[in-house]
Amino acid sequence: MKNAKSLFVLASSLFSAASFAADTPSTLDEVQSRGYMNCVIGNSFPGFYSLNKEGEWQGMDIDMCRGVSAAVFGDVNKVKFLPVQWAQSFTSIKSGKGDMLSKGMTWTLSRDTQQGLDFLDTYFYDGQGFMVRKDLGVSSVYELEGATVCVLTGTSSELNIADFSRANNLDLKTVVFDDSSVRNTAFFNDNCDALTNDKSGLAAQRSGAQNPDDYIVLPETISKEALSFAVKQNDSEWSNVVKWTFAAMVAAEEYGITSENVEEMRAQSNSPIVRRLLGVEGDLNKGLGLPKDWAYQVIKQVGNYGEVYERNVGENSILGLKREGTLNALWKEGGMMYAKSYR
Amino acid sequence: MEKIHSDTERDDYKPLKKFVASPARPPKRETHGVIGTIRKRFFNSIGNSLLTCIALAVLFYLGKWIVNWAVIDAVFVADTRRQCFDTSPDGACWAGVISWFNGLIYGRFPVQEQWRVNLGVVIGIVWLLPLLSKRIPLRGAILLSWVALFPFVGAYLFLGGRFGQELGLFHGIMTCAAFGYLLLIYLNLIKALIGSKTIAVAGLHLLFVPFLEKRLSRRVVAISSMLVWGGLSAIAALFLSSFDLPLVPIERWGGLFLTFIIAGFSITMAIPVGVILALGRRSKLRVIHWLSLGVIEIVRSVPLITVLFMAVTLLPIFMPSDVEFNKLSQVLVAVCIFAGAYMAENIRGGLQAIPKGQFEAATTLGFGYWQTMFLIVLPQALRMMIPNIMTSFISLLKDTTLVSIIGLFDIMLMARNIANDKDWVGMHTEPLVLIAILFFVLCFSMSQYSLNLEKRIKVDR
Repeated sequence: MKNAKSLFVLASSLFSAASFAADTPSTLDEVQSRGYMNCVIGNSFPGFYSLNKEGEWQGMDIDMCRGVSAAVFGDVNKVKFLPVQWAQSFTSIKSGKGDMLSKGMTWTLSRDTQQGLDFLDTYFYDGQGFMVRKDLGVSSVYELEGATVCVLTGTSSELNIADFSRANNLDLKTVVFDDSSVRNTAFFNDNCDALTNDKSGLAAQRSGAQNPDDYIVLPETISKEALSFAVKQNDSEWSNVVKWTFAAMVAAEEYGITSENVEEMRAQSNSPIVRRLLGVEGDLNKGLGLPKDWAYQVIKQVGNYGEVYERNVGENSILGLKREGTLNALWKEGGMMYAKSYR
Repeated sequence: MEKIHSDTERDDYKPLKKFVASPARPPKRETHGVIGTIRKRFFNSIGNSLLTCIALAVLFYLGKWIVNWAVIDAVFVADTRRQCFDTSPDGACWAGVISWFNGLIYGRFPVQEQWRVNLGVVIGIVWLLPLLSKRIPLRGAILLSWVALFPFVGAYLFLGGRFGQELGLFHGIMTCAAFGYLLLIYLNLIKALIGSKTIAVAGLHLLFVPFLEKRLSRRVVAISSMLVWGGLSAIAALFLSSFDLPLVPIERWGGLFLTFIIAGFSITMAIPVGVILALGRRSKLRVIHWLSLGVIEIVRSVPLITVLFMAVTLLPIFMPSDVEFNKLSQVLVAVCIFAGAYMAENIRGGLQAIPKGQFEAATTLGFGYWQTMFLIVLPQALRMMIPNIMTSFISLLKDTTLVSIIGLFDIMLMARNIANDKDWVGMHTEPLVLIAILFFVLCFSMSQYSLNLEKRIKVDR
């Protein structure tokens, strides 16, 4: 029955394919009329998107999508996650199969300009680092001359390490792997001197070792990996929704609103900014085309940026990352998390 | 004898001694018995003795290491991998696999709905149970009804949803019909157990046959049994409509359950698709011949993973964006065509082994093409092809793990996710070992079943 139905839809849409390109409605309208949004993620990336044993998605990217769902529908669960291969990420957004791409993707110029995407904002600043065994006696990447390095093939890490090795005459020898578990096992069995990956991932991999204390992560960061979410190019209405949802999380942290006290803040706060943000006064929602309490729902159901960070990548999470003093701290504390003005 | 005796009678005649065979001497001591065999086979020269010793030592250390790792040093109860390491650093950490066990079996199926998967599997097995007894006639009809109707029951239980809404009308009707048929089979069984000697199961015409066939024409029998089936289906419909199963979208299917769905579907479809393609390839009609040849050769010359990628990545690009195919149905179609192409060549091999006389005899008897094929040639060909067909099935079952690469959460992908769980970070080995054991059990029992089938068919001949 279902097949027959989809065949019918297929046939009818082939007829309308000619008029298809002429008038594309905004993704926001589409999402609202569909009743749920599609969020493109990958198969598994600890801390950012992975399954727990109940089969529920969790991670920072997941919370970004849930936030947008809360803003649009007032319900974090109106989002479908599409785990896709790397090669499919761009096409799935371009073809309209996915409404939002949030899969720990690094914002680069070529991706921003050649793939039909608009990157909107960075929710996690990362960079490539190295992990070595302690007994190697190395304390800096520049002492790794001639070392063999385990790396995942086809990733930007592989390209970065080649650039870095050439620029600094380090003569690093890469040992490439297809699968991160094989790569980690090889490293822990001393098949290479160092392991390279994004620093957030290194912490998790270190904690998977039998004796994590035998390994250290070297202090240098050799690349910029700004993990950002993206949407289809040239859809400002939808971009605004996604961009400002994230900004609301950051702003909430800045103004001390958390998922626990948001109720109280909405009822009692005198701060005009907080009142505007939570939809008590003003009409900030109008331009976005969202309900008045959109930011309230985001904060209530997902939390502010700090809460999202701690839950997924913070010190008590799988990655165990300290936030203080990193680029991911609020701008007031010397980081890069800076929400634009809610006015 | 008499005559010879009288001719040759002489005085010096002595009757021949009756020949008594002396008892066979036992073989040399060193060549029989347990010790003898061992000596003869394993220690018959210095070189071989050395080899035996080395092999024994290797086996011993390997076995000891495996047993130590998997059983003696293993940790079965722990909350995190770190605790496992603290208790026993060199053993397996089965606690992680145990805590993820449901995930490995059911994938992302919601925990409170997992009973539906179990129920579906139980119904499927119960349906096939009558096949085990040789006294039950028309077992083929039961198998056919399973192939044709059980998928609807499965889809209803696994997918859920209400009749007429998420569940299409056709699907709803078929589900009720399927339940009705299952009732029909078992009512017959019960009737046969308590009543008449002949067990009459399956088929459409069975429930009333013993009472009616002498008095009424076949058509009336058929119609009345259809009515009984319809009545039972209506009862099933009444029963089912009182339930409200929550919808479980296909994205949430996974684990071993999904592996079974893909493998089961493609195994069931491989034979019909294979038969069609094989007959097509042998057809004298040019168009059909070249079409079948093209499909077979093209599909067989690309790896399965390529076919899967094509189905999942390329197909949606050609489709308008508002057409939503779910990944599972794309994969099922791809795997079916793939398995069918291989099966076609297996079956063609079987067809070629049938002597020409069989065809000619069939023609002489006035059989047409389809009758010749389905009544005479294919039954013989398929019988000969059992080992090959089973080999294809086994490799198909193992191939289904490739769907993890395109992001279906089958048992492999679920296993990989364990290593990304906060509590079990970095745990890769144990889940893979478990999967290896599981697949060995599955594949080995499939090959044993095929051996059993071969023996049974030979006996019947």
